[in-house]
Amino acid sequence: MEPIKAGLAASTEPLLRLRGITKRYGGVRALEEVDLAVRAGRIHAILGENGAGKSSLIKCIAGVVQPDAGTMSLDGAAVRFPSPAAANAAGVVCIFQELSLIPDLSVADNIMISNPPRRFGMIDGRAQRRMAEAALARAGAGNIHPLELVKNLPLSRRQLVEIAKALARNPRLLILDEATSALTAADVETVFRVLKALRAQGLALLYISHRMDEIAELADDCSVFRNGRHVATFPAGTKSDGEVIAMMIGREYSHVFPPKPAPVPTGPTPTLAVRDLSWGETLAGISFEVRAGEIVGLGGLDGQGQRELLLALFGVLRGVTGQVVIEGRPVSIGGPGDAKAPANGMALIPEDRKTEGLMLPMSVGENLCFASLERLSRGGVLDKAAERRAVGEMVKLLAVKTASPDTPVGALSGGNQQKVVVAKWLMNSPRIILLNDPTRGIDVGTKQEMYRLLRKLADEGAAILLYSTDYAELIGCCDRVLVLYGGAVRRELAGEALTESALVASALNVEAVAGEAGLTSAATP
Amino acid sequence: MTMRIDPADPAPPGLFKRLDPAVLTAFGCIVALLLVGSLYSTSFLSPGYLLQQLQVGAFLAMAATGMMIVILLGQIDLSVPWLVTVGGMMSTAAAGYGPWGAAFAIPAGVLCGVVFGLVNGVGVAYLRIPSMIFTLGINAVAQGLMILRTGGSAPQDMATPAMHGLATGHALAGIPNAVWIWIVVGAVTVFVLRRTTFGRSVYGIGNREAAAYLSGINTRRIVLLAFALSGGLSAFAGVLLAGYSDKAYQGMGDPYLLPAIAAVVLGGTSILGGRGSYLGTTAGVILITLLQSILSVMQIAEAGRQIIYGVVIVAMLLLYGRGPRVGS
Repeated sequence: MEPIKAGLAASTEPLLRLRGITKRYGGVRALEEVDLAVRAGRIHAILGENGAGKSSLIKCIAGVVQPDAGTMSLDGAAVRFPSPAAANAAGVVCIFQELSLIPDLSVADNIMISNPPRRFGMIDGRAQRRMAEAALARAGAGNIHPLELVKNLPLSRRQLVEIAKALARNPRLLILDEATSALTAADVETVFRVLKALRAQGLALLYISHRMDEIAELADDCSVFRNGRHVATFPAGTKSDGEVIAMMIGREYSHVFPPKPAPVPTGPTPTLAVRDLSWGETLAGISFEVRAGEIVGLGGLDGQGQRELLLALFGVLRGVTGQVVIEGRPVSIGGPGDAKAPANGMALIPEDRKTEGLMLPMSVGENLCFASLERLSRGGVLDKAAERRAVGEMVKLLAVKTASPDTPVGALSGGNQQKVVVAKWLMNSPRIILLNDPTRGIDVGTKQEMYRLLRKLADEGAAILLYSTDYAELIGCCDRVLVLYGGAVRRELAGEALTESALVASALNVEAVAGEAGLTSAATP
Repeated sequence: MTMRIDPADPAPPGLFKRLDPAVLTAFGCIVALLLVGSLYSTSFLSPGYLLQQLQVGAFLAMAATGMMIVILLGQIDLSVPWLVTVGGMMSTAAAGYGPWGAAFAIPAGVLCGVVFGLVNGVGVAYLRIPSMIFTLGINAVAQGLMILRTGGSAPQDMATPAMHGLATGHALAGIPNAVWIWIVVGAVTVFVLRRTTFGRSVYGIGNREAAAYLSGINTRRIVLLAFALSGGLSAFAGVLLAGYSDKAYQGMGDPYLLPAIAAVVLGGTSILGGRGSYLGTTAGVILITLLQSILSVMQIAEAGRQIIYGVVIVAMLLLYGRGPRVGS
């Protein structure tokens, strides 16, 4: 495509080489025996769906976490980075997805924050400004004033400052994790020009992005990851979108899902109907319906508004516009207290059980009762007998493995903690159940129990809205899946059309791939 | 992961296992203090002396009870000093309005404290201003209002006989009335913390406000109520104190802020919220009261007493107040 890509010799020893890198979090394998080579003067794209191991990979390379096994070598010499600072010192610098700038400091302060030039023990402001200017110029952002406060810059300019900050550390390997997700089209062009210039200067770049078009324009090499394993590396442009997507999926199905019932007939009044729901720039006019007995999935890439949609329905977000209709009644939900009231009958299983779902030092029993204190009390006084009964029922229903209801919930395993979060809401007999990635980080056995439970609840008449980052889960569990992209419902998949390739293609907003059968032949993007 | 003792645990596996080590330490310190005191004078162990200490401690206990509820939420109430004074001055002021005023002197004083507490609660829960700064501001406002009312001198109004009786009398079984009040307030507090939705919510919010909010608990109303309770209890301490010395005076609440916080923390309540028992606060109040008494018997000057307080609190915080280990 471009002459420069072939310009630098591909036969030289790679700058960074990984051999057998393995990383586990508890029982979850994030990376398994990963081998990877990154060459100087090349832009190397990393592809993979949610949870494929991309983030774990760059965290291992950048010294944020330590791999459990495997070796890493830089320029042929074995290296080990106990901290990000050690990685920086060796010339490995990472720009993470979340911005790391301090808003109330100047651009120059931010760029030089880890190692400001010093004179007599104090920061040498003039030298710092000079160095920051040089870094900004290299990042193609020479028009940003180094003494401007970061908080006064628009988001896309901040991203350029972030790149300048990385360049000020003189990297040999620059890692960009979704670095363009916040940028406007014009800024993306600037960044691309900068990245190509850096490539010409002989830097190695690891580029992680979900935007297929960006990768096509920028990358020299592509590596595909799946389930923590490195699947293949190939020169960019030698595979079609369809082939790449086929590599990204094709997983072994390790879960067993309960059978799906026949589609729920389109009744006159859905349990939950949402019309034109918007919130700031995150949710852009979402409309859908969920009927009693249905499990509707929310799919798409991470961060396309799925979480915000659930929070908006539960009344947590302020300034939401649009209409929510529950069982035919338009409702206005002012907060979680409103949402769980018997008239609305909603429940939200939040994303992070440790900070949003549970009070870890408190007992299993107390945690179970938190959402139903009104039901378990009279005049504000708790009915201990009713409480014990309800707790016992829930522990039994979900088979929570706990020594006693008085055990602190923090002492339980992750899967059992998650069961407590779910049980806490079931105690309230909800009719609408919103779940925010409920099986993240829990073991396979508990996952399967959870799938069976969800199906059982749906069969008993609940309307369930399930957000999951696990595509297999969406396919196996849901009757229909709404794929979100940029805060809007991009596609609705159901029945035969609900396949992994269709999910991935709509999540990436790629039109080309129609179905599993089309994969091999769909060579032209 | 270390096991934590849960204050609302319904089925205790055994008294010693159930007690927080901080509570045991506090009771141990009480015994040690009494032994040290008895070296100076054998009267330290006499029932008369002990009851007198409990009577004086009851005033502190009222303020510490309110403080504990607020600290359990992970907040703090620094308006205690002048809300104590508000309680004292407003009740004696009501007493100046003839027999009807005298009859309502105690509720009037407490009610004024509740009003200030509600303002604290609105500021912290609804305006989202950090309690450390907001309650400090309300303390200054209360001080200004009291000086405005009295012209900066001690008011002439006297405490009513009822107030005097509550604070100094011995109506039942030779035990001071103030101690009975302490027992009643303590029993109600234990009930509220352990057996009501309010108490359960207080512990929940102190542990993880986001989780409590997402459970549909009206967290703002709970915080508002807790500050109102704290204000009312501080003012009630002021009412008793005015009854004890027969009148209210400027700065009468000043010596109560540090001891109230210290009693709560020494009793094992986490300064970060969510954990602590009323038994511990009781032990903390007794410990502080005895410490004060013994330091004055040993004729240590006020300055020395302040230094020793501070050191004791910091030492206890080092032992218990730092929260769970990172990553546990």
